[in-house]
Amino acid sequence: MEEEIIEIERYSEKEKYAVFDKEFMPHIDSMYNFAFRLTNDEDDANDLVQDTYLKAFRFINSFERGTNAKAWLFRILKNSFINDYRKKSKEPSKVDYQDVETTYNSVEDAEMDATTDLRTETVQDMIGDEVANALNSLPVDFRTVIILCDIEGFTYEEMAKILDIPIGTVRSRLHRARNLLKEKLKSYASSMGYKTDEMAEQD
Amino acid sequence: MQMIQAVLDGSASAAEVEHFKLHMDDCLPCIEGYKLEKSIKDALQVKMEKKCCPQSTVVDIRAKIGFGLVLLGFVVAEVKLYHLLFSC
Repeated sequence: MEEEIIEIERYSEKEKYAVFDKEFMPHIDSMYNFAFRLTNDEDDANDLVQDTYLKAFRFINSFERGTNAKAWLFRILKNSFINDYRKKSKEPSKVDYQDVETTYNSVEDAEMDATTDLRTETVQDMIGDEVANALNSLPVDFRTVIILCDIEGFTYEEMAKILDIPIGTVRSRLHRARNLLKEKLKSYASSMGYKTDEMAEQD
Repeated sequence: MQMIQAVLDGSASAAEVEHFKLHMDDCLPCIEGYKLEKSIKDALQVKMEKKCCPQSTVVDIRAKIGFGLVLLGFVVAEVKLYHLLFSC
């Protein structure tokens, strides 16, 4: 965040509060939901959202009115989470970010595609908590792309800016994240007695 | 499958959308894959609880950036203006 500071004074003091109120505050529920999905803890989500909004106000001169405020805020939150929060978290991420990148870059897509035999009907029968549990069990960077795309509805271009990665990487990471989510949903479905293709074949 | 996902996400290129429209009906695994991807996307969008930010957090943020002081400043300015205009 710090490297992006633009020194120009774009707004007067009064304008700063107006921009903050009109452009930033309408996204606070989405921001909290994102923070909660990242941290899995309401108190941590509160801290993360507060840190993000205070930073947003501090660096408000680097925000251009009328541009994508939601994507700008999400980027700050994501950076705060990675740079600040995860270092001091009560429950640090179980998987190191770099390890995950290395691991999923070494996995062949075709191999992962072939392992999933989750049924559409099974997913449709699942309740929200079951889907949430499967999502929460993913490493945070996989979880992040799914939240941004499927829950918050960002485009690949917006996600590339938020995550500071090329669009091609967004596509491949999302693809791998979804394959992993399907695996989690499938094993969750099996453990809960939902019908999967494996079970259907046994009938 | 990445192309199918991109179409579903509304982020596919025009060429990919065209390819999808032309060949989708001929590819049963693609149709099944599309349905499954869509069901998962729908489940994530619709079934999962959307957490709302507590009002206390909103109040804390406003207090920390000095919204209260700014509002107080406006009130004081308005009172002064009122006195200026109507005290004669």
